[in-house]
Amino acid sequence: MAVKRKIIKERVPTPERPAEERIKSFVEVNLGYTFELAVKEAERCLQCPYNYAPCIKGCPVHIDIPGFISKLVEYRDDPDKAVKEALSVIWTCNSLPATTGRVCPQEDQCEMNCVMGKVGDKINIGKLERFVADYAREKGIDEELLFEMIPRIEKKGQKVAIIGAGPAGLTAAGELAKLGYDVTIYEALHEAGGVLMYGIPEFRLPKSIVESEIDKLKKLGVKILTDHIVGRTVTIEELLEEYDAVFIGSGAGTPRLINAPGINLNGIYTANEFLTRVNLMKAYLFPEYDTPVKVGKRVVVIGAGNTAMDAARSARRFGSEVIIAYRRGPEDVSARVEEVEHAKEEGIKFEFFVNPVEFIGDGKGNLKAVKFEKMKALDERDSRGKRKIVGTGEYVTIEAETAIIAIGKHPNRLIVNTPGLKVERGRIVVDENLMTSIPGVFAGGDAIRGEATVILAMGDGRMAAKAIHEYLTKKRENGNA
Amino acid sequence: MYKILEKKEIAMRNTWYKVHAPHVAKKVKPGQFVIVRAFKNGERIPLTPVMWDRDEGWIVLIVFTRGKTTARMANELKPGDEILNIAGPLGNPAEMEKFGKILAIGAYTGIVEVYPIAKAWQELGNDVTTLHVTFEPMVVLKDELERAVGRHVVETVPIDPNLDFPTNMKNVTKRLVEKVREMLEKESYDLVFMVGPTGDQKAVFEVVKEFGVPMKADLHPIMVDGTGMCGACRVTVGGEVKFACIDGPEFDAYEIHWDELIARSGYYTDMEQRAMQEYMKLIEQALQGGEQ
Ligand SMILES: Cc1cc2nc3c(=O)[nH]c(=O)nc-3n(C[C@H](O)[C@H](O)[C@H](O)COP(=O)(O)OP(=O)(O)OC[C@H]3O[C@@H](n4cnc5c(N)ncnc54)[C@H](O)[C@@H]3O)c2cc1C
Ligand SMILES: Cc1cc2nc3c(=O)[nH]c(=O)nc-3n(C[C@H](O)[C@H](O)[C@H](O)COP(=O)(O)OP(=O)(O)OC[C@H]3O[C@@H](n4cnc5c(N)ncnc54)[C@H](O)[C@@H]3O)c2cc1C
Ligand code: SF4
Ligand code: FES
Repeated sequence: MAVKRKIIKERVPTPERPAEERIKSFVEVNLGYTFELAVKEAERCLQCPYNYAPCIKGCPVHIDIPGFISKLVEYRDDPDKAVKEALSVIWTCNSLPATTGRVCPQEDQCEMNCVMGKVGDKINIGKLERFVADYAREKGIDEELLFEMIPRIEKKGQKVAIIGAGPAGLTAAGELAKLGYDVTIYEALHEAGGVLMYGIPEFRLPKSIVESEIDKLKKLGVKILTDHIVGRTVTIEELLEEYDAVFIGSGAGTPRLINAPGINLNGIYTANEFLTRVNLMKAYLFPEYDTPVKVGKRVVVIGAGNTAMDAARSARRFGSEVIIAYRRGPEDVSARVEEVEHAKEEGIKFEFFVNPVEFIGDGKGNLKAVKFEKMKALDERDSRGKRKIVGTGEYVTIEAETAIIAIGKHPNRLIVNTPGLKVERGRIVVDENLMTSIPGVFAGGDAIRGEATVILAMGDGRMAAKAIHEYLTKKRENGNA
Repeated sequence: MYKILEKKEIAMRNTWYKVHAPHVAKKVKPGQFVIVRAFKNGERIPLTPVMWDRDEGWIVLIVFTRGKTTARMANELKPGDEILNIAGPLGNPAEMEKFGKILAIGAYTGIVEVYPIAKAWQELGNDVTTLHVTFEPMVVLKDELERAVGRHVVETVPIDPNLDFPTNMKNVTKRLVEKVREMLEKESYDLVFMVGPTGDQKAVFEVVKEFGVPMKADLHPIMVDGTGMCGACRVTVGGEVKFACIDGPEFDAYEIHWDELIARSGYYTDMEQRAMQEYMKLIEQALQGGEQ
């Protein structure tokens, strides 16, 4: 820390595939750092002291960011050692760094606070995190660390059921397995990963990466039962008979629809359906893969969050013209900055201050156009700090064969209907230990927050694991007494 | 992975699969379905457990060979093979009440879905008549239904090789509608229930409406996840958007927006045909390769 550093203002950029090339395939867009480039970027970090480092404060799970970055510089002559040391720092807080390095909104979290921003570019923390995880995976360093960890695990002889294999459930499962609990995940779909698998596209988060993160959990002894829908295949009450505690990480899976005439015309997809067909079922490889998807020549995506960007950029890869239509202005776009930039580079157009009021059919049940009311912003702000908007009474019509609705989601209804489970506005209510109204049942992630982020879901998973551990320790002690 | 214990063709284009799926067998009730993904590059399709044994952990699926997925299942799966995924049971169980005199109709393979519900209704003390209308070589579960309900009626239409398939199917629809009218004229029922192609369900509903008899229909919209996550299965019922997989699959026939549902079911027809043609080409190539 005492070493005096020369300030390098510019970020070391990560190579990306050019836009013309990438709109033809689902191959990953950003290529990530090499070790040399990562070290160069790492050297820019000022190594703010741990108690002060504003980047750590900005991270929802408080990764020791200067700590892991410093390892890359310290062991620059031994890349394997550098990565191993860096990864063990990250792992104490975050077990899915290859994922979070790719999908976290770093610009609003760690990087937002980085002091380097006062004199130049902020440190590219996300890409450094991603580099560490990718390099470790490719060289088998993550396995090495894992196998060093496994023999130290002391079996507790208690069982925990996890509902949902998204980031919340996977994180809780991993932490509990490391603490020695016997963990089983119940997952509704045929593949684990949650939104990481069915929502976020291959070109942003390759599925092989998610799979390898899940493989590691299996090596820790976590059992995953796919095709098991809690609320149908088994109820929470039944789980409580077999397990000592339950964690609900069932996400916010129910799509919100627009209450406008024509919503059920052919060609109108929810983002969930569209992305599930494309990502999970690989419809972009139809007919080699059996699931079809129809993407018209002109596509309108309604909404402007990450989901909207992902749907728009996926549709673009089918050779279509794509417009993102949003009822608010550019300053309220909630997607990650990198995705918005990528979308623009890929030729996706944006229409702001338009709100859909009618879906117009061709008389045969297919979508032909979407009618929007033009909106305007007021000076007044709503509870989320966004400017309020009102209709102007003027309308525009955008012709399109496909519309994708990406305006948000509610928690899964099969879970929230559990008797005795307290739910408010569709979200599961929890106390400060993430325990629900049913003793021994905990919850986290989008199921309690509504739509949030991967890292917040993981943070909940960790916190719940800790709370479950305390709960079960007491239970054990009482049982023994 | 779910092992196929038995597989046999029980009628033309109708295949019976007895599959080990204890998590479904333990829980399933009449009216519920499962989502099956048979192959690695396969689609997720909804199918109905027709029979089951909770202790032995198996279910029976009876599948009509329709497009690529069902054809692949019929051609490529052997007893002893494993089906990759069977998720479920899904959907709401059929209401088990004493309705009185029930006419339960199945068109084509729809009758297999009627079977567990009709049987349970009869056991509950209802007087159930089942009606199966299909092509002559496609009659299934005749003995089972005769044993299970008060009266089982089978109406068949011969397949005319000189006609194309859609025209042949219109003959089935015609016979179906005539027969339902005849039965409703002869006797009064407290409830009509039907499973079968949406177009046929609508045609039957038009007749039932004339008689003012309450009617329920098990709907078959296109589904992907079956858990309420994707919205593919949405139908307008009583002016509201419902998801058939978690709100249904059974709805009041008087409330359903039939034309919208019919249009939605046909959305992928062109792509499905293309997939089927390419699959048939592969099969032909394989057959020719085998002869050389
Ligand atoms: C298209 C898209 C893009 C996104 N992009 C980003 C991004 O770039 N960055 C970011 O930070 N966040 C992003 N998000 C948000 C982020 O993915 C979610 O906040 C996060 O996945 C929530 O995690 P979770 O574990 O709570 O739930 P989920 O990831 O939703 O996982 C829930 C799991 O539970 C299963 N499940 C549901 N009900 C049941 C049941 N009854 N029984 C058994 N299993 C059940 C589901 O099948 C699923 O696998 C995006 C979301 C979407 C949809
Ligand atoms: C709740 C429910 C229960 C069902 N139970 C049975 C059953 O027990 N036995 C049986 O033979 N069939 C059943 N079906 C119908 C069965 O799902 C379709 O026949 C099957 O999906 C056809 O797939 P394919 O690829 O062979 O045909 P394709 O060529 O892909 O499609 C032919 C037609 O099948 C329907 N279809 C296609 N894909 C789907 C899908 N993913 N979801 C729903 N419908 C689809 C459409 O109407 C389509 O036009 C059921 C359907 C539902 C919704
Ligand atoms: S705030 Fe920026 S410069 Fe300071 S430690 Fe964090 S990443 Fe490095
Ligand atoms: S099939 Fe996806 S919501 Fe019903």
